[in-house]
Amino acid sequence: MAFLARLGSPVRGFLEFLGDQAHLVLRTLRHALLLRMEQLAVVGGQTKLQIRFTALEALGLVSGTALLLGTVTLIQAFSQLSGLGAENYIGALMVLIILRELGPLLTAVLIIGRSSTAIAAELGAMQLNGEVDALAAHGVNPYQYLLLPRWLGVLVSVFALVVCFDAAALAGGFLVAKLKYGVSFGFFMDSVRQALSNRDFAATLLKVLLFSGAITFPACHFGLRIRRSQTEIPQAVTRTVVSALVAVFALDGLIAALFYF
Amino acid sequence: MLELHDLALDAPDGRLRVEGLDLKLPRGGNLLVTGPRGSGKSRLLKVIAGTERPARGRVSLGGRDIWPGEGALALIGHLRVGFAFASGGLVSNLSLRENLALPLRFLGLPSEAVQSRVDAALEALGIQAVAGLRPHAVSPSARKHANFARVLALEPELILLDDPLEGLDAADRTIAQNLIRTWADDGSCTLVIAAEEADSFSFLEAERLQLAHAPMSLEPSP
Repeated sequence: MAFLARLGSPVRGFLEFLGDQAHLVLRTLRHALLLRMEQLAVVGGQTKLQIRFTALEALGLVSGTALLLGTVTLIQAFSQLSGLGAENYIGALMVLIILRELGPLLTAVLIIGRSSTAIAAELGAMQLNGEVDALAAHGVNPYQYLLLPRWLGVLVSVFALVVCFDAAALAGGFLVAKLKYGVSFGFFMDSVRQALSNRDFAATLLKVLLFSGAITFPACHFGLRIRRSQTEIPQAVTRTVVSALVAVFALDGLIAALFYF
Repeated sequence: MLELHDLALDAPDGRLRVEGLDLKLPRGGNLLVTGPRGSGKSRLLKVIAGTERPARGRVSLGGRDIWPGEGALALIGHLRVGFAFASGGLVSNLSLRENLALPLRFLGLPSEAVQSRVDAALEALGIQAVAGLRPHAVSPSARKHANFARVLALEPELILLDDPLEGLDAADRTIAQNLIRTWADDGSCTLVIAAEEADSFSFLEAERLQLAHAPMSLEPSP
């Protein structure tokens, strides 16, 4: 019996976590619908701050990573496929490896490392300092002032950074193709365009939407659960990173199965 | 205005601090809650404000049930509450001025009205000089005054003050006492103060509630 209880405990914990996440998302959406016109400026201001931190300040990191990834991907591909007409597979390789999978996935991983952690730590510190209580007591709805702008900010940022990541990775790939085979820009882009389909765009947009939630809500959940001590902040950050990573990889797998299986 | 029925408050370790508390406070009424540290005064204020859940019992404000219920969210748009915390409570990434303005902007007041109310409150508390600074950059007494100023600017119907005079020097204490006297005399706002000692509030005409670790009693008004 004790063995079964030990076995069931993490399952129950996981289901409780999923329930809490669903509750947080639904309440944020419900309170978003209750926003009044005059409150939009305040929420918009907070959203802009989140976009500045998550997207603008991470642009160099994301673009640099993507450029290197695009370069390395084609160097490795050419080293394996040399003599087999590798230049004919450039577009398919870039679309399959980077635009479909690694672009959204690595962007999400970078944002989790940079912004999810910051959101969890910030909300945890606010909770300990009584700021969240003070906001609620003074009529400032925490769902509207804290959660909604962070979600919207991360949503816009994930979209913008995925576009930048893909563009930088393509640039890196083109650089290698040009140096190795003297491929022209027109040929390179035609090759990519032929390999791309509307299904890829739909899958990427769905990933952006779902990843933004998977990045934001675990951070809000673990940050706002902090109650007593500053030592809970690093624990919350660690749990946020693990939960968000698992959620992003699971969603990525589900979407791949849904669109391409 | 404020109704507590069979209220029980628990400590972080799960032990009950207060049990079976029944209380009615009319609009414009004043209540002074006193008791030693750890007796549950601050917790009682947070439960009344709807930011912490009681162990048991019912809390209603202005005819709205907040416990059991959604807590402070149930009051948004229906009742203005001002809460001056014993410490903290100011948003750390906003300046003192922005801290005062935020609840007013969320209420939907036009920017001119927000500006004039914030300026008047900052002047009344004498903290205009540091209004552009963030809470961590000012003295504890300035933070305390910023908490008062936020309440003053909001013009709330229910005011909750947690240890309002603690840590203030003589001059700051006089400013705070004058403000509390104004609120206590205002028939349109209900005032609840939590403090360790009642002596500093001898000027206040209020119901008195003495909390002890246990048991607890409600004394009649003087």
